[in-house]
Amino acid sequence: MKAIVDCNNFYCSCERLFQPHLDKNPVVVLSNNDGCIISRSDEAKKLGIEMARPYFMAKPLIQQHQVAVFSSNYNLYGDLSWRVMETLRTMLGKKNVEVYSVDEAFVDLGIFPPEELQTIARQIRETVEQWTGIKVSVGVAPTKVLAKLANRLSKKNKHKTGCVLVLDTEEKITEALRKTPVGDIWGVGGQYAKKLKDLWCIYDALQLRNVSEEFARTHLGGVVGARLIRELKGITSKDMEDELVTKKMIATTRMFGSPVRDIVSIKEAVATYTSRAAEKLRRQHSAAKVISVFIVSKGENHHIDFRGATHGDSATLPSATSSTNELIKPAVDIIDRLFKEGTVYKKAGVVLSGLIPDDSIQGNLFRSDNKNCEKKLMDMIDNVNFSQRDDVLKFATSGTTRNWKMQQNELSGRYTTRWNELFEVH
Amino acid sequence: MEGEEFYGAAYKGSRQFLQQDVKTANATGFGAAADDYMERGIDLNEQLIKNKPATYFFRMKGDAMKDAGIFDNDVLIIDRSLKLADGKIIVAVLNGELLVRRFHKNFSSAFLIPENSRYKNINLAEFSDFSLWGVVTYVIHQV
Repeated sequence: MKAIVDCNNFYCSCERLFQPHLDKNPVVVLSNNDGCIISRSDEAKKLGIEMARPYFMAKPLIQQHQVAVFSSNYNLYGDLSWRVMETLRTMLGKKNVEVYSVDEAFVDLGIFPPEELQTIARQIRETVEQWTGIKVSVGVAPTKVLAKLANRLSKKNKHKTGCVLVLDTEEKITEALRKTPVGDIWGVGGQYAKKLKDLWCIYDALQLRNVSEEFARTHLGGVVGARLIRELKGITSKDMEDELVTKKMIATTRMFGSPVRDIVSIKEAVATYTSRAAEKLRRQHSAAKVISVFIVSKGENHHIDFRGATHGDSATLPSATSSTNELIKPAVDIIDRLFKEGTVYKKAGVVLSGLIPDDSIQGNLFRSDNKNCEKKLMDMIDNVNFSQRDDVLKFATSGTTRNWKMQQNELSGRYTTRWNELFEVH
Repeated sequence: MEGEEFYGAAYKGSRQFLQQDVKTANATGFGAAADDYMERGIDLNEQLIKNKPATYFFRMKGDAMKDAGIFDNDVLIIDRSLKLADGKIIVAVLNGELLVRRFHKNFSSAFLIPENSRYKNINLAEFSDFSLWGVVTYVIHQV
């Protein structure tokens, strides 16, 4: 049996942990730059505040109902996420926990006898809440897809389920499938949901389970669809995965706090993003062969990614590197090529790709080899920055003023990661 | 799974260390013999943090607990995995506020007791929304 442990309204829960007076108040958390709403407490959902709604549009409703608003505090959320996952690993063993996202993890419960699953699931919920202060829901079922489905239903009726739902009999599974619209099944996108309803009158998960694998292969995206149907039938087709340790691509992308029109500021921003990306690169012991940079001008749809960005370019490096200075130079050169005088920009991003392990960097006949010195320098910078925080050491290209920095007007303290921001009690 | 492992202590701290982490005297001559007696040194985390994912640090403001040796600006170490018990110093949630007090309970009533005669005892019978945030385990005080 598998379980998915999912934090309830995770970002809101993190904020509430240190503001218990908000426990029954509506709370929302905003995206980077206070752009739109990315997390809502149950009370905020009830008020009709929508997910992903731009903050300025939701503002009247927020003010009317005195909703507590927070800028996203990723330092805090990241630490609390680690605590939740670490609690699960402590309880259930490292190899039985697969971290799926910042606020959810799959857990293999195969080691427990079936009659104990209800108790175990409840213990997981209680222990995580007691240790970390974060409330979670637990869905248990024979497969990952069914566990996701159980989790969704457990959240629908929190009072009745106590945020725990175990689907351990055929009757319970059938009942749960009947209550789940196709569009709410994990892995069924809006497009497929519409197609299923319009073409074949398939509305709920129970109907979908009864289609043949052949049908799924033809109409639901080949092998992926067939796997989904098997999972719905209770046959494991998505097994526990090892955590993705080494990323194939590293990106740092941010909106500017306010629109930027001069090339110097953009270069500073891109140099800073490059430093951040290079730091991530070194943390996973990789080196990059290709660096891509894009800038998005005001008026363009800011949801477009690198492939869709109109002002993007990349450079292939003479040899793979993880040194910030070797990466900043081509990044800034790209900006020289992309920047158009008179255009107002609102976003920039840096993507490192062509990653290889840093111990297998191939030499190049035409470059002098001072790799060791550079590596020592980078290690030193990373160490100082890691222990002192907030980029104490940086390259001069990154600038010193940062007019382009993010807007975070409602930011709470980094209570769990900074000595000088500890939560104060009386 | 063994019951003990199920609820085992989360934080092994640096008790899990490699042989390479042990410092050496780095002497080339006779001194090298001292290497056999080198230890890892003292790690504060090991003493102060028993359960890492459940341990939080707060900063004390005010003098409500001064007679218990907790002063203004001290750092409190709080372990959320510990149970509420009579006599423990706790961080309580009362009226939506976080409060540091000693918890006292007898057969009929429960109180939050300040360690400073200028403050009043709080009778928990008068509050409906008391809950435990965590148990204070250590205080870090600069002398």
